[in-house]
Order: sequence, then structure tokens, then C-alpha cells
Amino acid sequence: MLDFFLNLNNWLLFFALYLLTGFILAKDVYGFLPKLMSSIGWPIEFTQKLFGTKSLPYLFLFPNILIFGLFTFLPLFMNFGFSVTDGSSINFDSRTFSGLDNLARITQEVQIDTGGVNVEDDKFKAALADTFVFVIMQVPIMILIALFTAIVLNKEIIGRGFWRAIFFYPVMLSPVVVAFLWTLILKRQGLLSQTLIDWNWISEPIQWLVDPSWTMFWSIFVYTWAHMGFYMLILLAGLQSIPRDLYEAAQMDGTSERRVFWRITLPLLMPILLVVTVLSLIKAVQAFEELYALQVGWISLVSYIVENAGIRGQKTFFGLGIASMASLIVALILIVLSLLQFYLTRRQVKL
Amino acid sequence: MRRNILLTSFLALASFGVNAAEIKFVCYQDANECDVLQEMTSVWEGSTGNKVNFEVVGYDVVRDQLENQLEAGAAPDVARITNLGGLNKYYLDLAPYVDSAAWEKNYGATLPWYRKPSGDNGIYGWQTQLTVTGPYVNVTMFEDAGVDMPEEGATWDDWADALRVVKSELGLTAGLAMDRTAHRWAGPAFSYGAKFHENGVPILVDQGFRDFAETFVGWHTEGLMPAEGWPAGSGTAFKNAAPLFLDGTVAMHMSGSWMLGNYDANITDFEWTVVPIPCGPGGCGAMPGGSGVVAFNTSKHPEVAASYVDFLSQAGRAGYFAANTGNITAHQGLQKAGIDYSGVSQRVSAGLSTFAANAGKAAESTPQAYWFQGYNKNFAIYGIVPDYITKAITGEMSLEDALTAIDADVAAKIAE
Repeated sequence: MLDFFLNLNNWLLFFALYLLTGFILAKDVYGFLPKLMSSIGWPIEFTQKLFGTKSLPYLFLFPNILIFGLFTFLPLFMNFGFSVTDGSSINFDSRTFSGLDNLARITQEVQIDTGGVNVEDDKFKAALADTFVFVIMQVPIMILIALFTAIVLNKEIIGRGFWRAIFFYPVMLSPVVVAFLWTLILKRQGLLSQTLIDWNWISEPIQWLVDPSWTMFWSIFVYTWAHMGFYMLILLAGLQSIPRDLYEAAQMDGTSERRVFWRITLPLLMPILLVVTVLSLIKAVQAFEELYALQVGWISLVSYIVENAGIRGQKTFFGLGIASMASLIVALILIVLSLLQFYLTRRQVKL
Repeated sequence: MRRNILLTSFLALASFGVNAAEIKFVCYQDANECDVLQEMTSVWEGSTGNKVNFEVVGYDVVRDQLENQLEAGAAPDVARITNLGGLNKYYLDLAPYVDSAAWEKNYGATLPWYRKPSGDNGIYGWQTQLTVTGPYVNVTMFEDAGVDMPEEGATWDDWADALRVVKSELGLTAGLAMDRTAHRWAGPAFSYGAKFHENGVPILVDQGFRDFAETFVGWHTEGLMPAEGWPAGSGTAFKNAAPLFLDGTVAMHMSGSWMLGNYDANITDFEWTVVPIPCGPGGCGAMPGGSGVVAFNTSKHPEVAASYVDFLSQAGRAGYFAANTGNITAHQGLQKAGIDYSGVSQRVSAGLSTFAANAGKAAESTPQAYWFQGYNKNFAIYGIVPDYITKAITGEMSLEDALTAIDADVAAKIAE
């Protein structure tokens, strides 16, 4: 089947047949160019003739729906299929239905296949707990810094454009580049340890990315550094959309800057702030690339999924099912967060 | 008329081409293995008229993607692999196409590594080379520190003592680094008496395993092994310790014979050597292994693919491959006759001899190494051990809990 599509001759034959069909159907058209155009665009003309102009939008939508369905809905259904079946194969005919066994494998204390102690639930719960800590710490910190930076960069300061570019720059870097840069700084013989030793602040170099006391701190720090610029830009746009006359009126009334912030800026920025909060929450739950490339000392939820899915190394019999079940749980969390965003945004609009 | 003649000529030419088959070979290389295989292949192509399309890929591709390709029915005809037992349901049985008796005679020791767990006598792959784990030592560091290298038969404890002195004399970060995988860990564990199985059933944590785990964690705690090694990896991830040996962070690297070509080409600022595998109460343990060329049962040209693998496996070609890639041959006839390694450097040649001797010692004193290599779910164990031992090193869990978890996790991963 794949060979058929890879063969150029088959495509040429298909195109020739397509043109021939168009040529036959476009028999009432005269002149070479109009005939050629009609031969190329015959499906549209044919549909129009058959169903009228109302059907045309569906014809245009069809390729998009097909591709969207193929690459979005099909993997979604496949993922669900993997989560309720057992086997190392990606072919469903080689997998056996197992119901909620994979959920039991990642949540129960007793291993259902061996009857012994289950360690998979510990791994999953550790990934869940660590990701929760990461999200709870990283999101508020990043939003506060992004908000503060946006407010500063919204003022008339020297080199405003330059500073905006500087803060946005990390967003343009690939996650792997971000991880590489910070690894140079944070590895045991890296810049940070050496500098602190030179200043006599520490006596022994520290492996910042792996040391259990530091790994979460630096994960949050680097992730915030890499993504803050994006949210800062959204907040900056939000700040600029607040009508200037409100600030002028407040100024004429002699309102203090603090009061202006709490009474004008923050309330009018709230819808944008809510969007930013939910978007960054979703992004933080999905955190993977930077953390993976940094080789931090904890496993995020997505890392847990990647590790079990058999994407790296040899597959295990239950790995793909476990990974799929875990990904459904992540999806559930993301759905709840998205609904929250939807609800809060609508509420703000009503207010 | 003219058009008909042209068409007939075209069809005639096309039908001539049908006799020659094209097969696809996915090949990974540590050094120059695929280049040498391509040289050998051109002879076969010349004599048979068939064509082999080489796709030279990184090891990760073979390790992580090949199985998915096989499942999806988009596999190559032939591939060079290391997961010998794990992919056996996809192998083409070469037996109907080759001289089985000759294969048994020349590769009888490695053929079982490719077979299904029980009652399978098929012939599936040409073992391109035998690899053996073992330590590389920075000779310059030992000389600079004024420390004598322990002699053959020395234990891991003797080596640890010597490395401690080298580390402290030269102010090194650490003394010994090991790739983060149970494949490298297993050799020393065998030396400490770990059995790994009982009558073919995996039993990981016994007294020997426990003793080495305790020692290994202790080496990290005292700083003999670097924080950039095992503790710097998370989960089941593999981590190569070669950069730590190359940049002089450590004086010893527990790796394997496949690194000879790489170190020979890249180490220019210090002297290095391969030393006999350290021993212990359980023997002198090293993990054998290697890679092999297999044909897959999805091939559209099984006869051609089988004949190609058979061609490569012949004594002359296997010898040429071993000599030009600096590897230990798996051909038992050549092992007895010896390989002329004049094409490689003196230190590679010396390293090969040491590794070959290590393999012999392992076969004699720690036969469980050969069982573990042939065990078809060994890859799952390779990742589980570092996952939990790392947690014991970093203090996330006690060693006792880590060992209990290793047993439980292995049991769950191999259950079907």
C-alpha cells in the first residue's frame, strides 16, 4: 500500500486520469486555457452542478478535515485503544483487551500480574506529585515576573524596544539550546559552581540539576526563563489595550500609582491574566523538552509517559498500555484546566 | 510503428531488471563497521547482480525505531542490530537457504542468542562481532600519580584502592566512571557473586548483587565515582561515561570493546590501555554481547537477503570485517586460527587480545554472563537497575528499598 503511494509513476497515472476525467466533463468549454482550467478544477464544477453552491464549502473543508482527523483524532482513538489493551505491539490485532488493568497497574499497591508489591504506582504517583509541585510553584512565579516585566516595559524607559527583545529572546530558542546553555552553567564543573567556589560561598562544586535539594528549583528557574517572554508579550499587549483616558482621568484626580494599579490596571487586565494563567498551567503540566534535555533529577508526567511508551529502548509488554493510560490522565487534567479557562473567560465577559 | 518499437524496447529492458533484486540494509556503526560492510557488499553485488541499498543510521534509530518499523510492516530487508533476542519473532530463518551445518560449526556459540526462548533451532543472524565489557585505564594518570596498576587477577577492591590514590594524588574529580546501564554493571556484579538467574528464571537480587550494589553506592558516596555519571541520569536512561574519560575527569572507564576504535581515533593527549577484567569472590565477570546482521521475514526477497547474510558470514569475509573494524570475531574457526590485526594500531590490537581473554575468563568463571546476554528480556533489566540504584545513590530511597523495588519491577516488566 505504502509502495503504491511512494511510486512516482502511480501519481503521474493518477494525475493523467484526473485530467482525462476533467477533459470529458468539461466538453462544453471552448478554448485551450479555459478547457485546461476546467479540466483541473472539475471536482468543484462537478460538485456545483450536482449539489449547488451550498456544498462547495464542505468540499474545501474536506482536505483539512481529513488531515486533521488523520493526525489528531486517529492518534486520540489509538491512544484510548492502547490504554485498554495489553501487548508490546502497536498493531491492535496483536494486543488483547484488558479493560482497566493498566489503570490498576499505575494506581494499585498490589501488582495485578505478579501479585507482589507494585512499584509502578509509586513511579506514577511520584511523577504526578513532582509535576504538581512544579506547576504550583512555576506558574505563579512566572506570571508574577511576566506581569512585573510587562508593566516596567510598558513605561517610557530608555531602550524599551531593546529590553523587550531581550526578555522575549529566550522564547525563540529551541528547548534543546536552552538546556545546553543552562547545562554549561549548572553542571558540577559549570560556571555557577566555579564562581561560588571562587567567592568562597561553597567549598565543593554542586551538581545543581541532579542534587535533590536543587533540582526542582533549577527546573522552575530555567523553565520560567525560557517561557516568561511569551506571557510577558501577551500581558504587554493587554496593558496597551487599556484606554489611556482612564489613566489621564486618574492622574487628574491625583490618584496614587498603587491605587491606579489595583483599581484600573489589574481589573482591566484580568481577562488577559486569566488566559495567561490557564495557558501557562497547561504548558507546565506538559513540561518535557527542556527538563528532558537538562536531565533533571525528577521525572515529569510527560517524561514518565515517554519512558514507558517504549519510544526509547526496548518495549515492555505492558509499557505502551501504561503510558497511554497515564496520558489519558494527563489529558483529563488538561481538559479540566481548559474548561476552567472557558468558564472564567465567559464569566469575565459577562462581568 | 515507431512508438510500438520504443514501447517494446522499454518493456524488454524493464523485464531484464526484474531478475536483479534490490534489498535495503539499515546499518548503524560505532566506528567504521558499515563502511567495511559496504566494501564487502560491492563484491557480492558484482557477482550476483543484486543491489543493496545501505541506510547508515545512528544507534538510537536501530534501538528505538526498528521494532516499530517491523510492527508497522515497513521494515528493511536486512539490519545490523544489538537487541539479538528481543526481535526474534521478526527474523527470517536462514536455514532453508544456507548450509546449516556450516553455520552451526562456525557460529554455534552465538546462534542461540537469536532464537526464541525454547525449542527453536533456526538460524537467524550473522554475529558480526563479539563485544565484551571491560575497563579502559588512563596510563598517564597512573604514571603521574606514581601508582602501579594492579596486576591481572586483581579484584575490583584492589582497583578501587589504586584509583583512590590516583584521584587524591592528582586532585581528580573522581577515579572510576561507568556507562549508566546494567549491561556494564552486570560484569562487576558477577564478580561479586551475583547469579542473575536460577534455571533460566531471572533472580536479580541475591547476596552477590546486594554486595556489589552496596559497594557501588559506597563508591559514589565517597566520591570515587562521579556525580556526572549514574546520578546525573534519571529513570531508565542510558548515559555514556566516555566523555568523562576523554576529558580526564576519571582514570578508569568501565565500558567495552566497541570503544576501541573510537578511543584510538580520539585520544591523543594521554596514554590509555585496556586492562584484564577485575575479579572478585564470584569470578572475573564481563558481559559478552555484540551485534549481528539479520534478515527479516517481511522481506520480499527472502532468498536474496538470506544469501547476502550467508555471503557476509563466510570465514574470509568475517575475518576481513574483524581485521578492518578492530573487533573480536564470532567465527569459531577464525577464533582458533587467529585474526591478522595488522591493519589496526598496536594499542587496538593489544586491547582486542585483552578483551578476548576477558571473554574467555567470563565464560569460565561467570557463565551466567552468557545466560544474561541470551535472555530475551535483558533490555528491560538494563534500565531498571540504574533507575533504582541511582535513587539509592542520591538518597531518594534506601538501598534496601531500592533492591526490593528492582526485584518487584523486573518481575512486573517480564510478566506477560
